[in-house]
Amino acid sequence: MRDTLRWAYALNQWNVRLDVFVRHEDQQRALKTVSACGFDTIELASGTGRWDNISRPEVILTNHGSHAGFLDFLRRARVQGVSSMFWDPQAPAEEEEGYAFRSTADPDDADAIVEWSRPFVDFVAGVGAEQLVVRPVGSAWMTPPLDADGIKRVGDVWNRVGELTSAAGIGLAVHYDCLGAVHTEAELTGLLDATDPARVGFALDTAELTVGGIDPVAFYRAHADRVAHVHLKDTRHADTGEEYRMPGAESTMLKGGAGRRIERWFFELGTEGGLVDVPGFVAALREHDYPGWVVVESDHGGNPAELAMLNSWYLQHELGIAK
Amino acid sequence: MAWTKWSYMDHWVTETPQGPQPPSFNRAYMDRYVKELSALGFTGFDTFFFYLPLYAGMYGGVPGFERFLQDNGFEKITGIFSAYPSATKYAAPHVRETHDRIVADCTNTLRMCEGLTGVENFIVMPTSTYWQTEPVTDDTIKVVADLWNRVGELTRRHGMTTTCHFEFWGAIRTREQVDTFLAHTDPELVRFFCDTAQHTIAGVDPVQLFRDYADRCTGFHFKDTKDVDEHEAYRTPPDPELMAPQVTRWFYEMGEGGLVDFPALMKEIVASGYDGWLTVEHDKAELGGGSYAEATAVAKWYIDNVLAEAEAEARAELGSAR
Repeated sequence: MRDTLRWAYALNQWNVRLDVFVRHEDQQRALKTVSACGFDTIELASGTGRWDNISRPEVILTNHGSHAGFLDFLRRARVQGVSSMFWDPQAPAEEEEGYAFRSTADPDDADAIVEWSRPFVDFVAGVGAEQLVVRPVGSAWMTPPLDADGIKRVGDVWNRVGELTSAAGIGLAVHYDCLGAVHTEAELTGLLDATDPARVGFALDTAELTVGGIDPVAFYRAHADRVAHVHLKDTRHADTGEEYRMPGAESTMLKGGAGRRIERWFFELGTEGGLVDVPGFVAALREHDYPGWVVVESDHGGNPAELAMLNSWYLQHELGIAK
Repeated sequence: MAWTKWSYMDHWVTETPQGPQPPSFNRAYMDRYVKELSALGFTGFDTFFFYLPLYAGMYGGVPGFERFLQDNGFEKITGIFSAYPSATKYAAPHVRETHDRIVADCTNTLRMCEGLTGVENFIVMPTSTYWQTEPVTDDTIKVVADLWNRVGELTRRHGMTTTCHFEFWGAIRTREQVDTFLAHTDPELVRFFCDTAQHTIAGVDPVQLFRDYADRCTGFHFKDTKDVDEHEAYRTPPDPELMAPQVTRWFYEMGEGGLVDFPALMKEIVASGYDGWLTVEHDKAELGGGSYAEATAVAKWYIDNVLAEAEAEARAELGSAR
């Protein structure tokens, strides 16, 4: 995309199950799709094990030999580089004690989580990416209520990781999601206040904030100095019934197993009935000369190629950005 | 400057609440489909004659459908594909007694295209299946040629060119048969449409065929194949495209290791001075779990990178030769 803003595309929707995005030729097709849609930079998301060979740093390096080898692999499809990588330390990973279910909300887990971050810090720096984007805390239904001290404990973990990322010359951005134990605008602001602005930025996800009841445009305007990274996607629903508190909210809420039975929450830009003011948000980014990456995402959606093409159409025809 | 006249042949399947369906499922799905093609840079749209009544119903007429395309970045409907793949007692190109009916059908199709910006190609399968037509003699081909000469005269009056798209399983499939057919048809009325995969499967080199008939060629289906028919699959009744025992999927998108030399064809196209539309076709891309959307994006990536380079090289060679 030829624009003053820097645009990237997240690969996560291609890797929707354990074993469906493994063969290099399938990954090349995804990369070519992203490239044909006008994006020459991608965001990676963390995973685990032998089949996550475009997600887990150690497995990527086993497949491609080196950071340079991985970049060569991307460039075969005319994708020039990596903007960022997403990591959720609460998600089980073989490489991180398997199913230990550690949490940033538990001070006893802090050392382990900081240690677990090292492969990601090294990888993000090694491939020349700019941001390690992290899920700061687990789901609300799995986490005891967080008071100010609890949020400070979470912030302390990320301040420590932020020291590692700063030393490696990359950024660290904590990402809000609609299921997280840091949920309300006050809690989110509290987390930002609990982290060192010099080392920890905010990854603003337009759809996740909207589902969580926070206006992304207003929040950006209020915290533009902290926003280091953007995920741009739309939603048709806000969580008006506190469905995020339901047990198993990953399924009961986000896959429509209970509550209002909404089976799909996240949508492509320009979707009918979308709640995010995408033009307004992008205009706000331009007003503030936002310097970071804008990563278009289509996770929890549908056919990833169709969604990438629709997002590309929106950027070209609704936002007036030349491919 | 890279080639800008890329069109898309209207095969597509997408997921709907009623299972995988063509995007004509409803207008919302059509919206998505057309925007997706537009995002990749396609500006021409080819469709089938049998979709015209459906689109007319959805958009208040075929011109209304074309305006919908134009609202989403397309230039126009570029081609209409008409065919009688199965010979019946009503319509069979090799049976002269059915020709009046076929001409009447074509007249109806042309009537539905009135008011369009300017459809260029009236693309036809010149024959039905080989197994229904054989034995294929010179006289058989002459009968078929007479039909398309009539249709060619008809479409010319409507500003469209009748152009013949040969199937590997059709009655005119070998190089000799194609030569005979083109010799029996009026070069001013009946043109040649080069489907790269179909010719390759039939054992005919599409690059050489284009080289030999460039002056009669009015279009292409850029699609690939990984198999030449070495088992007379073309004679499989009732359908060789999906029922051939040895090959379960014949067609692939460009850039996936197939047999067609697309860069060579691109260079030949540039050298010939051809300046018409180039059409991407994905026929049965869903076989084996494929996705039309991804196949189309991958093909367009191949166009934007590999074919653009071949085109640039060919133009540079032309420039230095002058």
